[in-house]
Amino acid sequence: MREVPEGQPIPPAGPAPAPPAVPFSASRTPLVQWLLSPIALIPLLLVAFVAIFLLWKSQLVWFGPSFFGINYFFDPTGLQPNQFGVTLFVVDSLIVALPALAIAAGLSLAMAVSIVVYLPPMPGRVLTILTNLLAGIPSVVYGIWGYVVLAPYFGSTVQPAIFGFLGWIPGLGGPLSPGGVGSLLAIFILIFMIVPITTAVMRESLRSVPHDLVEAGLALGATQWEVMRRIRLRVARRGLWGAAFLGLGRAIGESVAVAMVIGASVWIPPNVYAPSTTLASFIFYQLDSSFYYPVLLQALIEFSLVLLGLAVLLNLIGQRASGLGTTVVVTGGNGP
Amino acid sequence: MSNGTNAPPSMNDSLSDGPKRRGRAVIGVGVAVAIAVVLLAAGFAGGYFLEKGLAPSGGSSTTSYTITETGSTLIYPYLNLLAPNFTSLYPNVAISPAGTGSGAGISGAEQGTVNMGGTDAYLLPSVAAQYNLINVPIAISSQLVFYNLPGLSVSHLNLNGTVLAMIWAGAISQWNNPLIQAANPGVSLPSTTITPLHRSDGSGDTFMFTSLCYLSWKGWSGGYGTTYSWKAGQPGYQGNSGMVTGLHSTPGGIAYIGISYLQSALADGLQYAALGDQAANVNGANPANYILPTPANISQDANLALQNLQPPSVAISLILGGVPGATNLVLGGGGTLPTAQYPTPYPDTNLEYILISTHPANPSLQKYVVVFLQWAISTGATAPRLASVNFLPLTPEVIGYDMQALSSVQVSA
Repeated sequence: MREVPEGQPIPPAGPAPAPPAVPFSASRTPLVQWLLSPIALIPLLLVAFVAIFLLWKSQLVWFGPSFFGINYFFDPTGLQPNQFGVTLFVVDSLIVALPALAIAAGLSLAMAVSIVVYLPPMPGRVLTILTNLLAGIPSVVYGIWGYVVLAPYFGSTVQPAIFGFLGWIPGLGGPLSPGGVGSLLAIFILIFMIVPITTAVMRESLRSVPHDLVEAGLALGATQWEVMRRIRLRVARRGLWGAAFLGLGRAIGESVAVAMVIGASVWIPPNVYAPSTTLASFIFYQLDSSFYYPVLLQALIEFSLVLLGLAVLLNLIGQRASGLGTTVVVTGGNGP
Repeated sequence: MSNGTNAPPSMNDSLSDGPKRRGRAVIGVGVAVAIAVVLLAAGFAGGYFLEKGLAPSGGSSTTSYTITETGSTLIYPYLNLLAPNFTSLYPNVAISPAGTGSGAGISGAEQGTVNMGGTDAYLLPSVAAQYNLINVPIAISSQLVFYNLPGLSVSHLNLNGTVLAMIWAGAISQWNNPLIQAANPGVSLPSTTITPLHRSDGSGDTFMFTSLCYLSWKGWSGGYGTTYSWKAGQPGYQGNSGMVTGLHSTPGGIAYIGISYLQSALADGLQYAALGDQAANVNGANPANYILPTPANISQDANLALQNLQPPSVAISLILGGVPGATNLVLGGGGTLPTAQYPTPYPDTNLEYILISTHPANPSLQKYVVVFLQWAISTGATAPRLASVNFLPLTPEVIGYDMQALSSVQVSA
């Protein structure tokens, strides 16, 4: 057993010991620090900048308790009282995001497990590259594909098929949406967008499970499957939940692609086929009109504050749980 | 001896490499920042010299101007067509249009960030006055009501404003409803459910269509505007092209679509309706009260609209004429102009507007804005240019109104 004092580099194994690594010299450090430290603050400043300006622009106009209600009504002519029920849109967002997340998380877990455990390195790497590729496709491309190619097909084939087999499940009963646009199509599109992030985070959390534990399990005679179920998944649990929250944040925040396929109907849809809307896509829909109607612009700014809050919250939970951004501590020597 | 007491060799490597890597990373970031700074500087410098280069280099005494426009995506292709032709007449003036949306056009004109704001829906006269803006119509456009109902014995169903309002409000839900049947005697209508489509984005077409419903049926609630709180459950689509695609895949569907998309909708096998005038809302059965969107009928409506308001204004989105001698319904106020002169006005017509300031920050540039608009509504508005975007030329009456309005613009300091 080799004792290594903390903070000191371990000399590499080999015939000729390498010269000790040179730490930052005293003369260089201040300049580098001086240059880079403000840059490190940029992300914080950006978020603060967005939040402060939105708050300032919204002037925190109070639309009454109906702002937090579940009814939306806007009269452009201003004759009837407006109701900007933001909760309606949050619920609608969840109706689309949660099923998409459930399916995406299942797919991602299966992919992460096969990459980390079962696949040889080469196909695993190819699969990783392909999944990351999905993340690089601009969302508007998914939107166009969804509304030009998929919507007619969903209307004529997919919806009737799901209705035929699973119509007895609440939420999957009729009536269908003949044009194909609606929550179901939005869920389908969102799966493509969530899978890259959930797969990446799940893969890394499964990878960070200490080898000792896995090998100990195998040494005790457990099968790969048992090790997976009782050791890897259990140890990586937090990371997996983190991946789910990050995926949820992604799903709730997506606007353009969802806007193009969800069908822009403002209500709580009675089933998964019906046209609906989400908080993010609704802001997108109403953007141009908000230039006409100042009241609507105020409401949209406050909507976007709610959306910002949701996204930040979900991301913080997700990052904290998955350990993204913190140093991965490899503990060696401690038996299970 | 337990397993894994020692860190694996790769760990050693990475640890001993640490400072070196960090050093490289610092250099990398430094280089990236330097490149970014150089590129930015080059960009600004380039832009500066480009601007300088555009300006006359001493030989000519005329100053160069760039007229900026933003707004309606319906007007954008037309302005794009006009711009180079105007510049060939006035080499020192460049027109730079941008298709962003009517709301952005209004907002840009109000805040003075652009010289012209394009919009499908007029700016309310009271608001326009507040910002010293005028609505200048530059072309006539109209809206069609399409439906996806194959196998009918007629090529155009008769629909009137009351029936349309009731369909979108959910009061009529099947195609063989007695009110639709009454307007279409002898036509065998199916019992198919009607699926009304609407625009999900902010839209001048929504403004026109909700205006039509608002004027035609007392039961219509929620007003009219570029956005509207539609009955829950009705599908919405992005843009006119989205409406065409959506209607094509929605049997029993009905949609309001700008005339620019006539060809693409017909190519998709959709049919459009003859719309009823004001009399048709009262007595739906008389076929003479249903009017097809022919160029002549659309132009009649534009004239009727203009002349129906006292004092004359072009702040209208549509007019329901058709009852000679009776009060015609116009948004913002009624008029009593006899309609004998324009007997068959297509009731879903609108004007495409350019908003300009009457008290501009730069009057010498505004002079060219006025010159451009005078040209764009007269000699610039050639038939091929208008036809390529399905617009109609302004009638002499509307041109006369425009010319008078443009004369009120301050063009010298």
